[in-house]
Amino acid sequence: MIKGLITDIQRASIHDGYGIRTTIFFKGCPLSCPWCHNPECISFEKEILHYPEKCIGCGKCSEGCFAGAKVVCGKEYTPDELLCEILLDKDYYGENGGVTFSGGEPLAQKDFLKEIIRLCKNSDIGCAVETSLIYYDEDIFKNLDFIMADLKIWDGELHKKYLGTDNYNIKEHFKMLDKLNIPIILRTPVIPRINQEIDKISEFSGTLKNVVAYELLPYHSLGTAKAKALCKPITEFEIPSKEYMKELSKYAYIR
Amino acid sequence: MLTYADRLKSMRDTKIRHTLAKREQNGYTDLDDFGTVPITPEYEVEPWYNSSNGSFYGYDGMSENFCRVIDAHPAYVDPMEMLCGRWRDMLVNYRGDLHYMPDWLKKRPKTMEFMKTATNQWSKRWDEQRFPYDDLKPFQEKYNIQTGIDGDAHFACDYRIGFRLGFGGFLDKIEKYRKINPEKQYFYNAEEKVVKTIIRFIDRHIEEIERQIKTEKRTEIKASLEKMLAVNKNIRLDAPKTFHEVCQWTVYFNCASRIYTRDGAGFQLDGLLLPYYENDIKNGILDDETAKFLIANLLLTDPHYYQISGVNENDEDMTNHLSYLILEAADSINIACNLTVRVHENCDKEFLKKAVYYLLKNKNGWPRFCNDKALAEGYMRNGIDKRTARERIAVGCNWMCVPGKEFPMNDTVKINIAKVFDVALSEMKSEKNKSTQRLYEIYKKHLKKAVEVTAAGINLHLEHQWEVTPELVMNLMMENSIELGEDISKCAELYTVGVDGVGLAVVADSFGALETRVEKEKLLTWDEVYTALDSNFADERIRLILSSTPKYCHGGTLSDLWAKELTKSWTNAVKEQKMPKGRQLIPGWFSWARTIEYGKNVGATPNGRRSGEPVSHGANPNPHFRGDGAATAQASGIASVQCGYGNTAPLQLEFDPQVAADEKGVEVVLNLIETHFRQGGTLININVLDGEKLLEAHKNPDLHPDLVVRVTGFTAYFASLSPEFRQLVVDRFLSEL
Repeated sequence: MIKGLITDIQRASIHDGYGIRTTIFFKGCPLSCPWCHNPECISFEKEILHYPEKCIGCGKCSEGCFAGAKVVCGKEYTPDELLCEILLDKDYYGENGGVTFSGGEPLAQKDFLKEIIRLCKNSDIGCAVETSLIYYDEDIFKNLDFIMADLKIWDGELHKKYLGTDNYNIKEHFKMLDKLNIPIILRTPVIPRINQEIDKISEFSGTLKNVVAYELLPYHSLGTAKAKALCKPITEFEIPSKEYMKELSKYAYIR
Repeated sequence: MLTYADRLKSMRDTKIRHTLAKREQNGYTDLDDFGTVPITPEYEVEPWYNSSNGSFYGYDGMSENFCRVIDAHPAYVDPMEMLCGRWRDMLVNYRGDLHYMPDWLKKRPKTMEFMKTATNQWSKRWDEQRFPYDDLKPFQEKYNIQTGIDGDAHFACDYRIGFRLGFGGFLDKIEKYRKINPEKQYFYNAEEKVVKTIIRFIDRHIEEIERQIKTEKRTEIKASLEKMLAVNKNIRLDAPKTFHEVCQWTVYFNCASRIYTRDGAGFQLDGLLLPYYENDIKNGILDDETAKFLIANLLLTDPHYYQISGVNENDEDMTNHLSYLILEAADSINIACNLTVRVHENCDKEFLKKAVYYLLKNKNGWPRFCNDKALAEGYMRNGIDKRTARERIAVGCNWMCVPGKEFPMNDTVKINIAKVFDVALSEMKSEKNKSTQRLYEIYKKHLKKAVEVTAAGINLHLEHQWEVTPELVMNLMMENSIELGEDISKCAELYTVGVDGVGLAVVADSFGALETRVEKEKLLTWDEVYTALDSNFADERIRLILSSTPKYCHGGTLSDLWAKELTKSWTNAVKEQKMPKGRQLIPGWFSWARTIEYGKNVGATPNGRRSGEPVSHGANPNPHFRGDGAATAQASGIASVQCGYGNTAPLQLEFDPQVAADEKGVEVVLNLIETHFRQGGTLININVLDGEKLLEAHKNPDLHPDLVVRVTGFTAYFASLSPEFRQLVVDRFLSEL
């Protein structure tokens, strides 16, 4: 039986697409964006999050930590087990809500993703993904109601500098995706002084007929606490001000 | 020239000043605002005692002291308003019981001299000398029962009776039935005295309005005062005929019933006021802007519980143009407000969307939402017909009532099941073969006893309330009372008495933790658990092992199953209790705002709760029931623990402050409400709070004196709550984000 490694399940999510949604955070991502706000979703292995301030000093770590000082991150689910969790909120999804597969990069566990999407569709549950579009899988995409896809940095060299790979394939995947006639929500994380060519991404979106919205996601530092808990090096970025976001939003348009 | 908007702003500013002044006079209070205005320096009451225990009871005691308190009330006329009259004080404050005496009263040496017999020895709200219940007390204490003995006012008047008769009509009716029932002179004398005192209250307002007219220079305000004067003269004896008059009449009746025993039940606002609105519009004497101003003014005078929208007995939508105006009016004044929208699938969906929009826009906890289907069908399961069930409207914190017909004592009777569980757990300690099933058997045995004791208390109360605290003001608008010359506590058509369970989540999570950690996982032994509880969790690791068990409302947990099972045993215990004289008990889950008080009576519990900590709130889960605090998980959990007989297990929700008052936000919240109701939920109280503002106000309440939170069924000004209670609201808010 195929299993998926899941970091977390968030019910009643209202910021990951339309309506009331259940967001499934897949564990593992081939990219390592230094500003990632979900650093616990990068590794494809189970990990331990360390919160020493919660330790009660009982000395019984090997028998299990109940204080929350050592938290296992990552749990394996069969598709049926995950469907059970998703079904808990089926009544609330309404016409527009459903499930959002996020991460990490959900397409990195494509066989599991395909299966859970199939099960959701059989249960009349709307599905969406949040993806970096580093992968392209038509079989998956064509079964979705909409796709939230990132174009994090316009310039290829800069993309390679920060993300370890250029964005040629990602842009190509956008073009291929556009041919499937599925609504696309284009998104860019805003990291001041790093990705400022929002106007060029907007222009690019103008060449795609299925982009229904272009969202700018301001960088926030919530990921740093989790990086610290993972004992990973912490890179702090500037948090964009409201004024900065307002100004930048003038350049984020579709067609 | 002052516009309505200018006047509303002034009224709102005055309200904020009053809130701060009242806190100065009364200290912190974990209660509804009740619409009172501050006590004036010259205010003084000389109470009259007719009992040797230093208190007053019965028809003569209550009517005489009502006169004394209401006669001491100065007129309240704010020229910015179109309605006049406010209350400040109530007569039960003078019963000589220090437990219930407000701070300002204790600072009045002259008044305290009147009440020199005041004592802390026992509650004087009930005449224990004549109607003792010493045999019940040990059990009431053992199970931490809020008995309802000494309660009052928790039922609803049929305002149509008052609107039809007016105060003069009340006097005529009293005279008519006095002749038919000559042996009931004491009753009729008291009722007559009450009505005449209310008329004197109106007369003092007429004098004050006349005085203000003489000095008022602003043309538009002078005209407004002259209109106010005419309205007051028209309704001092006659029945109200116009929209303005019916609003003013309501203010006076509400003032009187508040001064009497702080009654707070309103009516179907968009139904009963509609004929007056339509008639005035037809006659060209009212426009929508004035109607809205009058409604806003009515809501400002008192946060009574009013219901709007819903369906009639034929399932036809009752939403009308006035329903919309009421929402707009509430928006224009935007204060603590207890409007409840009745939701039914046949109701105007646009109206529901608008109601949700205002909830999100103003973030002031109004309106609330109740579910017609679950409430009406549930109530019919008690053998009540559909028409009557439909008349049973939302008029209290957690409760419904059939106006004019029902005497439900709702929200006055509660059993702390966490305490019952505590007793059961202690009893099992000495047994050799311990198990959750055995514990549950012992729990059910004690629960049965607790319900029996509660029923005995209710029956004692119903037999004698008329001799202690007769409902002399509310009797005027109840069916049968004046006609028979009997207090409504003796002659109501329906005695469907509400009994609420308290501490559901504590008990469900305790059973869940024991079954998971002791029986299934064998991480702990029973002895280890008992040792931990006895030492109030000296071993923190054991506490954490227990408290980290998946909780009620997480979804699909053992604690979720226990919550359902506990609901079943609670419902059975309450419904199976035999009652005399056609009375029956109706189960619900509700703690009101007393979670701190109830918690103090309960030792450490196996869900990791330390001794004396607050119990869970109403039907709500314990804090941190899920990492994501999902509102949907909470809503589904609470829908699964409904008792099903027409009383509520409310969903008290702290909603994400980032939900915007836009199409998407409205869709999300509406979906949540409708789904919870489809699943069988009964009542939803939602706080959409600005977290930053809340935390600022927690540090310094005076920064945001206008911040309103829905504490439980009622809304309150955050600045007026005690620091302990503010912390509880903040914790609840933070744990559900």
